[in-house]
Amino acid sequence: MGNPPSFFKSPQEVKNALGKNQYIANEEIATIMFLSQQLGKPLLTEGPAGVGKTELAKAIAAATNRDLIRLQCYEGLDETKALYEWEYAKQLLYTQLLRDKLQETLGTSRDLGEAADRIAAEEDVFFSMRFLLQRPLLKAILSERPTVLLIDEIDRADAEFEAFLLEVLSDFQVSVPELGTLSAVHIPLVVLTSNNTRELSEALKRRCLYLFIGYPTIDQELAVVRLKVPDLSPKLAKQAVEIVHSLRKVDLRKAPSISETLDWAKALVSLNVKNLNNETLETTLSVLLKHESDLQRARRILKRSSKDLLIDEDDPRARGWSN
Amino acid sequence: MEERIVRFISALRAGGVRVSLAESADAMLAIDQMGIKNRDAFRLCLKSTLIKNASDMPIFDELFPLFFGTSTIPPFLNISNDLTPDEARSIAEALRQFKEQLRDMLERLLKGDQLQPGELDQLSEMIGLNQTNDFRLQELMAQRMEKALKFREVQEAIQELMDLLAEMGINRERIDQMTKLMRANQQSLREQIRQYTSNRIAENMSESRPEEGLNGLFERPFNALSDKDLDRLRKEVQRLASSLRTRIALRQKKAKSGQLDAKATIRANLKHGSVPIDIRHKDRTLKPRLIIFCDISTSMRPCSELMLSLIYSMQDQINKTHAFAFIDHLEFITPDLNNKDIRGAVATVLRRMPPGHYNTDLGLSLENFFDQFLDKLDNRSTLIVVGDGRNNYNDPRLDIFGNLSHRSRRTVWLNPEPPTLWGSGDSDMLRYAPYCDSILQVSNLAELTTAVDRLLS
Repeated sequence: MGNPPSFFKSPQEVKNALGKNQYIANEEIATIMFLSQQLGKPLLTEGPAGVGKTELAKAIAAATNRDLIRLQCYEGLDETKALYEWEYAKQLLYTQLLRDKLQETLGTSRDLGEAADRIAAEEDVFFSMRFLLQRPLLKAILSERPTVLLIDEIDRADAEFEAFLLEVLSDFQVSVPELGTLSAVHIPLVVLTSNNTRELSEALKRRCLYLFIGYPTIDQELAVVRLKVPDLSPKLAKQAVEIVHSLRKVDLRKAPSISETLDWAKALVSLNVKNLNNETLETTLSVLLKHESDLQRARRILKRSSKDLLIDEDDPRARGWSN
Repeated sequence: MEERIVRFISALRAGGVRVSLAESADAMLAIDQMGIKNRDAFRLCLKSTLIKNASDMPIFDELFPLFFGTSTIPPFLNISNDLTPDEARSIAEALRQFKEQLRDMLERLLKGDQLQPGELDQLSEMIGLNQTNDFRLQELMAQRMEKALKFREVQEAIQELMDLLAEMGINRERIDQMTKLMRANQQSLREQIRQYTSNRIAENMSESRPEEGLNGLFERPFNALSDKDLDRLRKEVQRLASSLRTRIALRQKKAKSGQLDAKATIRANLKHGSVPIDIRHKDRTLKPRLIIFCDISTSMRPCSELMLSLIYSMQDQINKTHAFAFIDHLEFITPDLNNKDIRGAVATVLRRMPPGHYNTDLGLSLENFFDQFLDKLDNRSTLIVVGDGRNNYNDPRLDIFGNLSHRSRRTVWLNPEPPTLWGSGDSDMLRYAPYCDSILQVSNLAELTTAVDRLLS
């Protein structure tokens, strides 16, 4: 078991590397990411949907030049889907195909005892890595190259799976009864994400570093939009981001997140929108909001305040956005 | 430094954050890595290792500056130094007009003396700050301290003093200047008091013992609980619900029936040369499904908050939960409980259905359910009714209840009243009873624990 290669020497380096991979990290994200690498502890990120939790894992994989192995969690996920499984069909097929060979091996044996011994000697053939179907967790552990293991939406998996994960995450080894214990070649960088649809167990939380990613500030979000959608004019980008921020203040069923801002920005570019007036808002708002009731509500609010929303910077609401 | 961190952690614990030993060790490790020179990095080290719940962040943000802050009190200005002898004499004369305590305060403001540690300690003793270890009381304590220092009276006294000085013939401009400076000094004192109280409370928190056990709480009836008890009960209920989950999981493993699980069967029978001796079944079908009716009418109000907390926790653990609340009609509350923290969720429900003078009507509520939500109930569901069965002489609709009970796997009634009261007055409990598989009395946590345990057996 080797130590994970430390690619970063300071949080600043993390930040720069992430920046190069189109991920704008703030001090907090960079520092905690760095700590996670230094301490070899999994990083648990929580926050609203679409603020870039999964993206962070992808960016860090790209930045460290590691392979990204992703395990998407869902209800009913179990070890056979997450860790490993024997390929029974293949095993059966091989026994069929190798029947002649087996006959040959057994044919010369004088009694049953000897035949059994010979079979036992060949047992390893069928329980070898050849027939082991590696699922994401095992793949991350056995990988020759250092990896980033992304366990996405852990809150969707069952509690029992969480408990099982604890074992893997604390020792980075897996025991396969037929093969023995398999230890990690490189300890992977583990990122877990959760949307907090249910409480995770204390035990799991205890083993992780915790990072809460919330909605970004106007400036940060503007930077993200400018980076990811460079074709949008700066003025329009600013307006768009401001509208999104004002919508987040409203009590909606699903507040628009960064990913939706980006979708919207892309939509504005492809529609070749020159300025944000009521008409364009009306037609493109559905990119931003995904519930009919939210849409109606947002339309009402935007219509009411569209003038001061876009022009009057001294509006008390406008000032509220900047914090 | 380490000692300071340890104190900080115990203050966090007193603030209700659960910090384990392993986590505090992690914090130390993280700090070893990052050093303590950069205050921001240091803060992030502690934050990422100690705080694992978004809801605990505010208390962290509040406590951190108190323990590792560079608290600076705004400067006090000495006015008396640059007074002309004439002015000094006038002031001294004018001051004689005031009572002793006010005079002291005015002089303090003129000289720009801040409160000495000894004085502060004395004050804190006086107003009971030494026993306070709750942050919510910080503002109150600061106000008490200001009152003890007669802040409001001093405010008026400053004006009076200036009027006197004006009479004595000191020019207006000078007086305005002095007023301003004295006010500034008073503001600085206020700031000093705020900082002292919060520091003091933080210290108290770090020294307070971890919460005493739940002894007694278990047996105390729900309607005789204080806010703090409720808080702890809520935590206990949450723990109860999560221990439930593991128990459910165990039961699921034991109770396997239903569809054949081909993969598992092949795997299990490899040792028999693929002769299927040991048949494996899928266990998905046995996942618990709950339909909960919770009475939150006036008669149930004392315990409805706790019951809703329990429902919230159950829903958190068991995916297929449909929760309803009723007073005179039925409301589907599962969406309210989703995606919110427990306190907010319970408050939302209670706000949406305020107690009033309308009639409790389980009969009508059952009818609502029958008309709108019947598809949620099937033979895998457990039907749970939380209520006292006091129906205000309305039609209990036993026919519907019987029907629902017949359709569900089990019907359980949780009633806070003792059996002797069932059937008395407007209670329809005895009439509902024949349709229930079990009726459990839950008037305190001990009973609730057993009830929950029985619920999933």
